[in-house]
Amino acid sequence: MDLNYTPEDIAFRKQVRAWLEENLPRKEIRTLDDRLGWHRKLYEAGYLGMGWPKEYGGGGARPMEQAIVADELARSKAPAPANSLGIGIVGPTVIVHGTDAQKKRYLKKILTAEELWCQLYSEPNAGSDLAALKTSAVDQGDHFLVNGQKIWTSGGKVAHWGLLLARTDTKVPKHKGISCFLMNMRQPGVDVRPLKQITGSSEFCEVFMTNARVEKSDQMGKLGEGWAIAQTTLGYERGGRALARVTNYASQHSRLVEAAKKMRRHGKPLIEDPLVRQKIGRIWADIEVERYQALRTLTQLERGEHPGAGGSLTKLSYSELEKRYMELALEILGPYGQLTEGAPKEFQLEIDTAVGEQGSWAYAYLWSRAGTIYAGSSEIQKNVIGERILGLPKETRADRVGGKA
Amino acid sequence: MNFSFSDDQVLLKNSVRAALEEHCKSAHVRAMADDAKGYSDDLWGEMGKLGWLGLPFPEEHGGAGLGLVELAILLEEMGRAAYPGPFFSTVVLGGLGLTLGGTPAQKDKWLPAIASGRARMTAALLEEHLDWDPASTTASATKSGSGWILSGVKRFVPWAHVADAILVPARSAEGLSLFLLDPKSVGVTLSPMKGIDLSNRWSEMRLDKVAVGAEAIMSQPGGAATVLESLLRRAAVCASADMLGAARRCLDMSVEYVKVREQFGQPIGSFQAIRHRCAEMLLEAENAHAAVYYAAWALTAGAEDAAVASSICKSYVNEAARRVCGDSIQVHGGIGFTWEYDLHLYMKRAKALEPLYGDTEYHRELITRHAISAR
Repeated sequence: MDLNYTPEDIAFRKQVRAWLEENLPRKEIRTLDDRLGWHRKLYEAGYLGMGWPKEYGGGGARPMEQAIVADELARSKAPAPANSLGIGIVGPTVIVHGTDAQKKRYLKKILTAEELWCQLYSEPNAGSDLAALKTSAVDQGDHFLVNGQKIWTSGGKVAHWGLLLARTDTKVPKHKGISCFLMNMRQPGVDVRPLKQITGSSEFCEVFMTNARVEKSDQMGKLGEGWAIAQTTLGYERGGRALARVTNYASQHSRLVEAAKKMRRHGKPLIEDPLVRQKIGRIWADIEVERYQALRTLTQLERGEHPGAGGSLTKLSYSELEKRYMELALEILGPYGQLTEGAPKEFQLEIDTAVGEQGSWAYAYLWSRAGTIYAGSSEIQKNVIGERILGLPKETRADRVGGKA
Repeated sequence: MNFSFSDDQVLLKNSVRAALEEHCKSAHVRAMADDAKGYSDDLWGEMGKLGWLGLPFPEEHGGAGLGLVELAILLEEMGRAAYPGPFFSTVVLGGLGLTLGGTPAQKDKWLPAIASGRARMTAALLEEHLDWDPASTTASATKSGSGWILSGVKRFVPWAHVADAILVPARSAEGLSLFLLDPKSVGVTLSPMKGIDLSNRWSEMRLDKVAVGAEAIMSQPGGAATVLESLLRRAAVCASADMLGAARRCLDMSVEYVKVREQFGQPIGSFQAIRHRCAEMLLEAENAHAAVYYAAWALTAGAEDAAVASSICKSYVNEAARRVCGDSIQVHGGIGFTWEYDLHLYMKRAKALEPLYGDTEYHRELITRHAISAR
């Protein structure tokens, strides 16, 4: 065990920090064009797709280097790049499962954000039970015809392309009849409608597909193998981001401490209240434990090991922490906590929330409710941990016994 | 950067587990619960031969010169086996206390004696008011000729009834000081304290005008505060490692049990209510592992955040072990509540360690002080 960073990693961090000081956007990012501009700057500096193979425009960087860049971006409160789903999820999936032609056609444009991507997985009746999805892709000889509805599509409004899961066979058990496609979002038959969330904003969309077309060349992997592809895709939602996430939490925590110093209760600064101090100490411990775990995960990635089902532990841990954290933060802040506007400046949260937007504590609190639902709910993660790490017996479930989807 | 055990550390872990599986089965733990002394000298001698008793001491004092990560590995396995005996009190409290604050003569005398299995030690860190802050010490030390007179009451002194020497904090005119006391001295009264943990013993210790010589004082008169703070941090992390081992044992027993125990015609591990609880237990144990070994590394490496890491470790593991051990009883159902079944050996050990070397609230307060001053 040696948790010191190597001299190379320390030097690399310095270099990234210096670049950020020089290049961080001076004015607030408001439009998609602003965000695209920032994205290109990051790409040109080599800070996007860092781990991708060089032949596809990546940097071939080590996981630690990727983590350091993500961490420094969080530390400097840098805005998120424009094509985060494309870079974080779609690209890596194409690298593993795509044909040579697909890699040549799509990867570079993901990196440059020339083409923005979304993920077309969840459906109104296929969330935690993703394999119950109904959207169909029917072979028309030279192309597939897609019909159905997707929901919770992040970035659907702006996406040019979507990574689609659709049913191509209804006569086999449901997991086996699903295939994976790359679908053009800018075609007749694809209707994207923003979905207003409990936060009041609309990061997510609904996508309606009516006789939409997918070319044969845009089928990824073999027919019926979409489920396995989706499993690897979901695996990419974890990993190198862990350190950056913790940095984000820690910076929020220091805002919370500052607010508790300024607020008064019973004639004394709130920070002197032993109950408040206990809450602040508890959250700080939880955040730090998350940081230790992030270093553990990085050790695995650096050794070329895939965390596998261990990613479910990470996801369960941080998403549940985020919920506890924000609930305690709102408790400490009292009525100020739930304000979205009009809070005195010192009680505001002036940093990015999980989605890279300036946020209030209230907004961060509401967002924390999403983390234990998306990308596999906490309940699904616990099933994965139970079955795949602890080796507990599977439940007898009708959908695993029968032959019908 | 590397958060994995080295090959040597893995080897240590495996050999400790194998030795304890051979010499410290649950029958041994149960037998020692009814033993007058509470531990086995044979096993103690074996531990000396295996090099465990001098593991963290410098090589010039007969030790192996290893760090807290290795000590935590050893203690995690002892927690897992509910090892009954004065290892923690001797090696962690006495031995590390001496390495941190002993005079050269004290180290020369006691560290090789501990390492070879000849001496058992402990420290009296808690007083009547049960406050973990060393600054709260009220026991007194007054100068008398070239020596000192000690008075006061100490509580929860682990394994004092078998100790050859006891580290005793007391307040002298110079400030907080630390003494090395022979428990057979005139004026020392030990009263046994027995709790739910079958594998540990404590004593209340009364010091009634106990005369000690000049050689008994450790470090500098009035200079014990930093020694005690460092010792307490190490003890907190070592106790956490022990609790982690106990919790892991409870988790492992639970997972094995729910795979075979059937209700409603199916193994209960197939039910989500049980499976989810086991998944949560694993998460707590894994996070506790990270907290223990990060803190152990940080203290050994002298990392900037070592002090707060030890508080994070103890406060986190306190709650994690409580949940894992408690839930293990729950998933076992009735059998988990019986004396014959072994689960309670580990659960009780963790429970008894929870308030020791800083309870959850004590450490959270230290974390908060750090958080306030750090930013």
